[in-house]
Amino acid sequence: MKATDKLIKAIDKKLERFDPLWQAEHGVGGFRSRYYDKTGVAKYREWRGVKDTFYDYSQWLKNLGSMAMMVGSAPIPCLKGFWEYRWMGSYLGTFMFIDRLFEGYRGYELRIAHMNMHAIVQSLTKKIALVLANDRRFGGGPLTDRMVPMDEVLPPLFMAGFKDLIPVPLQTLPEFIICDIDQHIEPYYIDVAESYGLPADVCSRCAAETGVAIDDAFPIFGKAFLTTNMPCNASEATSMFQRRRIKLPDQPVTMAMIHNEPGAHPYSTGELKNAIAFIEKEYGVKYDWDALFERARHMNEQNLIELEKWDILKTPYSALAGIAETLYRLYSWASVNGQEDYFTETDRKVIKLMRKAYEEKYQPFQGKTRHRAFLWGPSAVYYTDFPTWVQNCWGINIVLNMDSTMGHNMISTDDPEQAIQDLALFSEKAVMRHHAVGGWDNVNAIWEWAKNFNCDMVLFNDNVACKGMNGVHALMEEQARELGFHFIFIEHDLEDSRTVSRQEMRKCVNNYMSVVLGEQPLDPTIVEFDDSAAY
Amino acid sequence: MKKVVHFILKLVGKLALVGLIAFVVTFTIYMTNAENKLIYYVVRPLLNKHYDAQVRDRRI
Repeated sequence: MKATDKLIKAIDKKLERFDPLWQAEHGVGGFRSRYYDKTGVAKYREWRGVKDTFYDYSQWLKNLGSMAMMVGSAPIPCLKGFWEYRWMGSYLGTFMFIDRLFEGYRGYELRIAHMNMHAIVQSLTKKIALVLANDRRFGGGPLTDRMVPMDEVLPPLFMAGFKDLIPVPLQTLPEFIICDIDQHIEPYYIDVAESYGLPADVCSRCAAETGVAIDDAFPIFGKAFLTTNMPCNASEATSMFQRRRIKLPDQPVTMAMIHNEPGAHPYSTGELKNAIAFIEKEYGVKYDWDALFERARHMNEQNLIELEKWDILKTPYSALAGIAETLYRLYSWASVNGQEDYFTETDRKVIKLMRKAYEEKYQPFQGKTRHRAFLWGPSAVYYTDFPTWVQNCWGINIVLNMDSTMGHNMISTDDPEQAIQDLALFSEKAVMRHHAVGGWDNVNAIWEWAKNFNCDMVLFNDNVACKGMNGVHALMEEQARELGFHFIFIEHDLEDSRTVSRQEMRKCVNNYMSVVLGEQPLDPTIVEFDDSAAY
Repeated sequence: MKKVVHFILKLVGKLALVGLIAFVVTFTIYMTNAENKLIYYVVRPLLNKHYDAQVRDRRI
C-alpha cells in the first residue's frame, strides 16, 4: 500500500464518526443529524471520507465555475433576470439541491452522478444566459429573432433541421426544472392562476405554467411559438392561456393521443411536417435535412448508450443509480434531445465507468440495497429527492424511472421521409406519455418494465389532481397483487407541496415498509422528519 | 540564467501560495456550507421581499 493510501485510510478512520453512513450503522446519528430543523440547511457538508469528499468538493467548484461563467457571459441580463423573475431567485438553491440528491453516494456512483449533474448545470446555465440576454422584456438581443420558443414537452430534435435557428423549450427554465429545485416556487404561481379563477383541482403543473404566464414571468423571444397537446389535454389548455399572454403566432403540434396504434403515426408525422412548414413561413428559412441528420446521429448514439446502460441496470452492479439516472435522462432527453455534444461525450464517459464498475462487480451504496424498484414518478420525485431518500432510508434502489423510457427508437440519418416518420414515433413517446397517456397498454406496460429490470417492487406516484390516472388506482393494485410485486402508491400533488407534503409522501413508503414488510430502516433519523421549510 | 531560475521559483512560489489560500477559503466555504446558509438566511429573504413588492398587470 502506498504511503498516501495509508495516510488517507488513517484520516478516514479518525473522521469516520462524521460520516452519516457510519453514524446510522452505529446508532449515533445519520443523514438528518447535520441539518437545522425544517430548513433543509445543513450545518456542514457531508463527510464522505477523504477521496469522495474531495471529489465532491471539486465538482462543487466545477458547478460554481459554470454559474460564474453564466453571470460573466451576460452580467446585466442576469442581474435583471434575478430582479424581474421570482423563479430566478430559486436557482440559488441549486447547490442545496445537488447536495440533497447525492447524499450517501460514494465511489463510482458519486463520480457518475456528478458527471451527469454537471452536464445539466453547464447546459442550464448557458441556456439561462442565452434566454435572458435575448429576452424582449429586457430590450432583446442579437439572437432574439433566431430563437424559437416551443413547448418543453415537444422534443426539439426535429428543429435541428433549422440550423440557423435556436429552439428553446419555453417552460423549462421558469417552471419545469425549477420546481425540482425549490418546492416553494410553484405554489406562488399556482396561487396566481387560481386567484385569476382557475379551479384548484386541476393538474398543478398546468396551473403553475398558467400562473407563470399570467404573472408575465415567461421570457419573451422569437417570432413564433410551437405549442403542443403533450403530455395530456390539460397541457393543451395551458397552451391556450400562454398564447393569449405571449401574443406570438403559434402552431399547436397535437401529437396522436393513442400513439401505440400504427394508424396514429401518419397523423403525427403530418403534425411535424406542418410545424416545419409553419416555422419556414414565420422565420423565412428553409429546412435542412443534413443538419437534422447530424444531430440525429448524436441522439442515436445517446440512445444506443442508453440501451447498454439498461443492460447493466438490470444487474446489481450498476454504478449509475437512482436520481443520477432519472434526472439526467429527463433533462438530456427532453431538453437537450441530441442537440448538445457535451451530453454525447458525458454518455461515453459514463458508460465506460459503468462497464468498469460492472467488471469489478461493484455494488453501489455499499451493497445495502434490499429491494429493486421501478418508479413511475414525475416532478414530485425530484424536489423530494425521493430516489435518494428511499435508498438511504429503506434500501430501495430506484433502478429506472418512467421518464427514462422515453423515445429510444433510432432515427434515419439518410432518408428524409423515413427520418420524419421515426421522429414522429420518437416524439410521441415523450415526457409522461410513455406511461400515462395513450391507452391502457401504456399504463400496464409498467409490469413488463419492472420484470425486465429485475425489480421486486413498483413505486407508483399517484397525482391526486390527475384526472386521467385517478381511475386506474384500484386496477393497478389488483395487478400488483396478481403479479406478486411489492407495490406502493405514493400520493402527491405534483408541483404543489402544500396539498401533500414531502413527509406525507415518505409516510406512504414508511407505512408499507414497516407495517406490510416488517422491515427496519437503514437510517432511523430520516424515517420521519420535517423539511417543510426546505427548498 | 540564475536570475531567470530565481524569477521562475518566485513565481511558482507565489502561485502556490495563491492556490493554497484559494483552496483554504473555498474548502472552508464548502465544508461549512457557508454559501447555502448565506443564500437561505440572507439573500433569498431579501429577494422574496422584493418579489412580493412587485406589481404585476395580470389582466388577459
